[in-house]
Amino acid sequence: MEKFIIAHMYPDLMNLYGDRGNLLCLQKRMEWYGLNCEIKNISLHEDLEFSQFDMIFMGGGSDREQNLVCGHLLKRTDQLMKLIESGLPALFICGAYQMLGSYYKAQDGNVIDGLGIFPFHTECRQGRLIGNILIETEINGRKTSVVGFENHGGRTYFTDPIIKSLGKVIKGYGNNGEDKTEGLIYKNLIGTYLHGPLLPKNPVLADFFIHNMTDRKGIKLNRVLDDTIEKIAHEQVKNKILAE
Amino acid sequence: MLNLRKIAAILAGKLIAALSRMAGNQGTNLPGKIALEIYPQLLHELGQNIEKDIFLVTGTNGKTTTANMIAEIFKASGNTYVHNQAGANMLPGITTALLEHTDITGQKKLDYAVLETDEANVPLVIAEIKPRMILITNFFRDQLDRYGELDSTINLIKKSVSNTEIELLLNADDPLQLTFQASSSTKYWHYGLDVTNYDSFNGSESREGRYCILCGQELEYTRYHYSQLGKYHCPQCDIINPAPDFLATDLHLENGIDMQIDSMSITSPFQGLHNAYNILAAVSLAKLAGIEEEFIQSAIANYQPTAGRMEKFKILGKKVVLVLVKNPTGLNQSLATLVQDPAVKNLFIALNDNAADGRDISWIWDADVEVISSDQAHINQIICSGKRSGDMAVRIKYSGFEPAPIVVKPSLEEGIESAIRRESEACYILCTYTALFASRKILLRMQKKYPELEPERKKAPGKML
Repeated sequence: MEKFIIAHMYPDLMNLYGDRGNLLCLQKRMEWYGLNCEIKNISLHEDLEFSQFDMIFMGGGSDREQNLVCGHLLKRTDQLMKLIESGLPALFICGAYQMLGSYYKAQDGNVIDGLGIFPFHTECRQGRLIGNILIETEINGRKTSVVGFENHGGRTYFTDPIIKSLGKVIKGYGNNGEDKTEGLIYKNLIGTYLHGPLLPKNPVLADFFIHNMTDRKGIKLNRVLDDTIEKIAHEQVKNKILAE
Repeated sequence: MLNLRKIAAILAGKLIAALSRMAGNQGTNLPGKIALEIYPQLLHELGQNIEKDIFLVTGTNGKTTTANMIAEIFKASGNTYVHNQAGANMLPGITTALLEHTDITGQKKLDYAVLETDEANVPLVIAEIKPRMILITNFFRDQLDRYGELDSTINLIKKSVSNTEIELLLNADDPLQLTFQASSSTKYWHYGLDVTNYDSFNGSESREGRYCILCGQELEYTRYHYSQLGKYHCPQCDIINPAPDFLATDLHLENGIDMQIDSMSITSPFQGLHNAYNILAAVSLAKLAGIEEEFIQSAIANYQPTAGRMEKFKILGKKVVLVLVKNPTGLNQSLATLVQDPAVKNLFIALNDNAADGRDISWIWDADVEVISSDQAHINQIICSGKRSGDMAVRIKYSGFEPAPIVVKPSLEEGIESAIRRESEACYILCTYTALFASRKILLRMQKKYPELEPERKKAPGKML
């Protein structure tokens, strides 16, 4: 059986609001699809070699933790960019998402450099953007709703129209609470503010990553999973958000 | 001379408390708040009526249970005391408790005060009244703490006790409490657990305070009692658990709690390792207060769990246990207790996301729900309820529990009925805060209506381990 390795980047430092649930979700679904998936925890002490991974996942963290991590990642940003360009599946949540941009301006005015992979930046302002969020996105040509919970002080602004947001905000704040955009999608990478965690009650997104992983290995998935419970959860939150 | 302003404050407080009780509310914060507005020195002055000692009980989990147990011990030993109600653990709530126990002139003397105190309120409270001792249960990080709030709270407590005479009674197994070692001129005592049969040798994945609070290095553990509580040492600064002044040995959790605290045998109807810690903490404090052992033993043996703290019901001849869960550590502990119970059981979990529960329910993914799939768990059915029953059901599904027996019933009433009526020997009812009291009402009503098995449903007892 072909083995898949998902890198969990800095689980000790970057793991907010149940983010590890995304990995539990991917691992279980892959098991149900008959695939073998290993989660590899990557720490600050390790030499980075992204080419051995089938997917990369990183969650959110505090400013201090983001700084430590960013310094470590900068050593291999070139490799990471090339792999993203060639379609490596990757999910970056909240603080990890912000790090993909050119900089992060803290509330005290301090500017922290990002990895500079995408043309956007983030400014932290007073008043955190907190609450349930509903967005509409298109995955593989099909419209789908995505639900989650956001909790961020940073406002993210795209500086070049060449990059595309993950979706349109129906209810909630999203990237900056102003332009109704949320997150970023580029090839097989998604950056987003959505916690909740994201994937368990949005199985369409979980399968987006799994299919990308299997396609890259030339494996075809024929099985369809029973998502009754996931759909109940998705609809329950969606209805709640729409009624709020 | 009579202090009219003080009397007015006490009268106003007592009146508001009485009115609010008549209206069916607990009314535990408002009376104190108003009274303090009328007479700001009130808490300070009422604190001076305590003739023996004032004790504060603080920490993340277990405050209420521990403080209740201490109050029971004082009651059993014939001492007079004041004790604040569950949840009313900030400055106004504590003021309410004191003003309700005094006379109109505010002069009535009492032996002890046992004050459950919110962690962040400790510095405010000790600015007003001087306790002899602060008991700390544990410090757990949860999802609300990812911005370092716990560290700053611990530091504030540390700062407020340094260069005072206040004694600390600390948990020797909690590495986050090492921070107090470094504080000057403070007298401290430690309680801790010996090796138990329930320890594990590897920690779970969820992020807890497993880093040395003194140097930041990852701690090494030889045993985990639960969460970050265990036998640890720091490879960098070489620090290890402090030696307990009060050591619990021979712990048994199969039928309530049995243990030996130094030379004293303790038996309690409570369940679970976390409650063993609460009892150990309460007993240690009582010994330091000089209470005789026979009173401590009888108070603990007779004290029954209160609402939502492993409170037991008997419905249709089944044992039904109601548990409040509010964070990952609490959920881990409740599930661990449930797994230790050899009965075949149904599990009901109600997850709400009202303000008092926390609007963000993602913490359920930080808990190690996976234990419910172990062979010893003996769970027949899981019923998920509440406003976020769907999220709970998804969490259970991804823990590896077979999806067939997971049922989603958003209505508490239907969910609880179904959990109790379905085949099992016992039922565990887990609820977040805003589902707790409604669930308790349903259980009380069912207990009154059908305490025993209906004859046609009577069966031979199932297999026991």
